[in-house]
Amino acid sequence: MSKPKLRTRLASLSFSEKIKILEKLRDREKAIAAAGLRRSKPDKDRATDGQEHAASQRTV
Amino acid sequence: MVHKQFLREAAEVTASRNFPLPLGTRPDLVDNHSVKATLEAINQMQADGVIGAYAIGGAVGATFYLEPAATVDLDLFITIPGESSGLVSLSPIYEHLKARGGKVQDEYIVIGEWPVQFLLAADGLELEAIACAVETDVEDVPTRVISAEHLVAIALRVGRLKDHNRILQFLDQEGVDREKLQKILERHGLTSKWQDFERRYLEGTR
Repeated sequence: MSKPKLRTRLASLSFSEKIKILEKLRDREKAIAAAGLRRSKPDKDRATDGQEHAASQRTV
Repeated sequence: MVHKQFLREAAEVTASRNFPLPLGTRPDLVDNHSVKATLEAINQMQADGVIGAYAIGGAVGATFYLEPAATVDLDLFITIPGESSGLVSLSPIYEHLKARGGKVQDEYIVIGEWPVQFLLAADGLELEAIACAVETDVEDVPTRVISAEHLVAIALRVGRLKDHNRILQFLDQEGVDREKLQKILERHGLTSKWQDFERRYLEGTR
């Protein structure tokens, strides 16, 4: 099914059905967040990849 | 039913004594993981006179008209009964929900699993949006959703990137009545903002 057709089909669902999808999307977002794949905010103290690489080079 | 009624009454008594029930025995909001249950709690709050009219806005509101899009919260535009002065406190809402197991989290109150942001209708556009909201239901729980045209007007006024994106979705999916939208924009002084939006995003697409 083409993307526009799928969008139209999803948009034509009842509000109750859409809410069920929305709940599933939210559960998925929460599961991804809980898996620790995202940092909530950038850690300024953390060295960048480049800095870490340079440090490892020095210790060799 | 009797059990539910008992729990509700018990909660009212303990709330009035400022003595919270232990977690797991609180009524209404326990094991509430769905939007349906959250709306039931909100409808109860309306029946109890804590809030006046309400209508769902934001991404959940837009979902009524468009394809579902991931969101973490429920935006609720509300009026407060008998409110006439400029200074209005949302604390009665927070107290009411806290007594029923709701938890305050930043600008939200978490009702069951859903963080709800109560947005007090502060001007003509928002009051009109509540008044013109569309009646619907979520699994037989009655509720109201802001009209597509009012959602677009509010999104235009807020003007963040995600709001502009939502407007584009509405236009792309032909989810708004352009004539109705134009009248709303004129009534609330948003015409020049709309022209800016058109210049920025729609030039060359018509």
